Amino acid sequence: MNNRQGMADTQVTKRDGILSEYNPNKITEAIVKAMRMTEVGIDKELAEKITLKVTQQVEKSKNTYSVEQIQDLIEKDLMMSSRKDVAKEYITYRQKRTEERLKQSELFKIGEGIISGDNEEVTKENANLNGESYSGKMNRFGSEYSKMYARNVMLPKRLVKAIDEGYIHVHDLDHYAVGTHNCIFIPFDKLLADGFQVSDKGSVRTPNSIMTAMAQVAIIFQCQQNSQYGGCGASKFDWDLAPYVTKSFVKHFKKGQMYFGETFVTVDIEELNVDNTDLLKVFPKSYTYALEETRLETKQAAESMIHNLNTMASRAGGQVPFTSITFGLCTSTEGRMISEAILNASMNGLGHSETAIFPQLIFQCKQGVNQNLGEPNYDIFIKAIECSSKRLFPNFVNVDADFNLQYYDPTKPDTSIATMGCRTRVISNRFGEVYQSGRGNISFNSINLTKLGIENGVVNGRTEVDVNGFWSKLDEILDITLDGLLHRFDIQGNQPAKASDFMMQNGSWIDGEKLHPNQKIKDLLRMGSVSIGFVGLAECLKALFGKHHGEDQNVWYFGQELIGYIRDYCDKKSDEYDMNVTCFASPAESLAGKFVRMLQKQYGKIEGVTDREYLTNSFHIPVYYEIAAHKKIDLEAPFHKLTNAGHISYVELDGNARNNLEAFKNIVQYALSKNIGYFSINHPVDKCMSCYYDGVINKECPACGENSEEKISKIRRVTGYLTGNVNNFNSAKRAEERDRVRHT
Amino acid sequence: MNISGYIKESIVDGQGLRAVVFFSGCYHNCFGCHSPQTHDKNYGEEFTESKQQEIIEDIKSNPLLSGLTLSGGDCFFSAKEVIKFVIKLKNEIPDINIWVYTGFTIEQLMGKKDNKYKLLEMCDVLVDGKFEIGLRDTTIKFAGSRNQRILDVKESLECGKAILLSLDK
Repeated sequence: MNNRQGMADTQVTKRDGILSEYNPNKITEAIVKAMRMTEVGIDKELAEKITLKVTQQVEKSKNTYSVEQIQDLIEKDLMMSSRKDVAKEYITYRQKRTEERLKQSELFKIGEGIISGDNEEVTKENANLNGESYSGKMNRFGSEYSKMYARNVMLPKRLVKAIDEGYIHVHDLDHYAVGTHNCIFIPFDKLLADGFQVSDKGSVRTPNSIMTAMAQVAIIFQCQQNSQYGGCGASKFDWDLAPYVTKSFVKHFKKGQMYFGETFVTVDIEELNVDNTDLLKVFPKSYTYALEETRLETKQAAESMIHNLNTMASRAGGQVPFTSITFGLCTSTEGRMISEAILNASMNGLGHSETAIFPQLIFQCKQGVNQNLGEPNYDIFIKAIECSSKRLFPNFVNVDADFNLQYYDPTKPDTSIATMGCRTRVISNRFGEVYQSGRGNISFNSINLTKLGIENGVVNGRTEVDVNGFWSKLDEILDITLDGLLHRFDIQGNQPAKASDFMMQNGSWIDGEKLHPNQKIKDLLRMGSVSIGFVGLAECLKALFGKHHGEDQNVWYFGQELIGYIRDYCDKKSDEYDMNVTCFASPAESLAGKFVRMLQKQYGKIEGVTDREYLTNSFHIPVYYEIAAHKKIDLEAPFHKLTNAGHISYVELDGNARNNLEAFKNIVQYALSKNIGYFSINHPVDKCMSCYYDGVINKECPACGENSEEKISKIRRVTGYLTGNVNNFNSAKRAEERDRVRHT
Repeated sequence: MNISGYIKESIVDGQGLRAVVFFSGCYHNCFGCHSPQTHDKNYGEEFTESKQQEIIEDIKSNPLLSGLTLSGGDCFFSAKEVIKFVIKLKNEIPDINIWVYTGFTIEQLMGKKDNKYKLLEMCDVLVDGKFEIGLRDTTIKFAGSRNQRILDVKESLECGKAILLSLDK
């Protein structure tokens, strides 16, 4: 720099590289500050003496000193002085400042990544969030800071260490600090019948038609979603909505009576329903008209609901709510109309007949109700099969699985097993009655089983598996995992009702409406579950024994023993803490990739263990392993019983499944017969956006020859939910999708 | 006799989940055939006794299968040897449902009582006719071009004419 005033005063280089005038007072101040922290106290004379010494050295040097170099000088002089205690304080202070600066720069880097959209792990962490949109970026900013805050300030230190070492993952860490909970089944029957409040903006009355009821369902989903971070579901949608079909029928019937002049008798309201055949005899025109209109209205109501649920980007970061609808057992004419309408609407798809991503449909399968020809809802099951062969859902939940059947009471719809789209379930309840609506999962942490496997397995150069080492490490990790859940529950439970206003105000969470806005929610939240999940059983076994559970029967037995052990731990801790602690076959969308990247850094690429871009989901047989469909089902089935917080098994089909319903149905029913709890079939659902051809598209559209990637939509499933397009997958999920071996 | 491939489970080669054996050798020479390499009867691997037994065991142990599909190539060109395999298969799984794909028409196969006819008799469903690229249609089930028919073999033989299979039963 050209300085016209000749020799400048002594200068120092600041951390940002800018030159600044050397100021000896700052040195004295810093030393005094450190002295103030000591027991002996301030010695101004010594401070000035050291300052002078440092100043002389800085001034006589030809080079410009940096701030760090000056601090090194101060530190050295303090160390050599009589006041070692001051030196100690000074060093501690310096370290703390360095750490803070580091944290700030970390935050800075995260920000850069979000703005530029370069950091794929941040922008594509969630396949259903557009991390490149404005609201998506705003969301990521909040979320990344919130994560950092939770980590540095709140989390138990032991947990932080286990996270950093790659043993445990805390899901939805961004919600840890504020105390949000995970997911819920909404009691739609109650909210629709009682009406609901939307904070202080106003209230909504009970609907008088199915059209309005379905519109309100979309509103309720949307409002509820902002009280939580995970999915929201309906556990018995057909039962919940059936009364509003009747209301529509009554409305149309009365209108019909007027139009057709069939007003000679007034009918009691109790007599006015679709199944009253006397109505057809006495008021043939009015009845026929009302039935037709009601069907049409129900159909339109379902279509409009599905459009609403895919377009209301009201959830944090411009996402639509994560919605799931379980149904299939209501055999009343009205309930069946609901089931048919949502299946038909899903099959028809959205505007250009694209597959609707939400709501995730889940069909309840029950012998005697819908599984065989002659049973009242068999036709709806067949329609569900057809829909799934076109749209990837419904998924199928097995009411007859022994671990579900024990709760089933045909007179109480809420005792038939339901799940969230992602696979989460809550049916057992240590606090009494069995019900699902009004509660959900509170939070879950997942364990990296693969890491435990590598540490104790033959893969690590051992000649023999260290079984004892494995179990004792697992014990330690289970304790840390549970500690984390309980610590988080404490934060969640100490939130006032007003924090989750819609949920508590309207009693979406059971009895929430009975709380004062300032009252803590702990005792109610307790009705939900906290869950210990796991990832990478296959790679864990491979690391332990050199084979995974698809390759060797004894290894398969060990796998069951292992997951059974986690389940027993959960059961034991449920009693100890009087909480619903459950064992979870975790959905691991981005975690599958994150864990393996950590393992690769620690252990390198181990064949069959860490050499892919992902770990295998929960207890699944690896997607890349060639195995017949029925064998995959047989091998995964026993794990369903063990994982009471949720599970899912898939079979992959290659080819156009919609052309082969027989195969589709046989596979589903085979899985049900094997005591699988929740099941689905993955198959390619491709669509050419140029000519709207629906089917399997490899490199180019077989109908019009379109070959541009942007013009071909490929819908696939991750975690249980669908996602818009493989292009939105993060790298780990894209790799996993690519490797999936079709079982046919 | 060679086979050009074997798939344990397929959903695109007939109704239900099916095992598929592709027999090498075909002289129809359809323009636009999607597997021209199978036309050579020496293509692929030899259909050995042990391979045959392996396939039969696979089918026996797979509760999800609706049956077996004979594809190719065109197995009617090696009818005599294929019959031997099917007899062996039916000895072990008497009620097995068999689909067969061919470039011949059923009328040609029913023409005289030779080995082709015998093989036809042993099958349940025949997808017949050459692949005609001009009649290609990606929307029809289990066939490539609109001239191809999915036929109920037993009914057709009984009536002496082509009877379409009702797929929805």
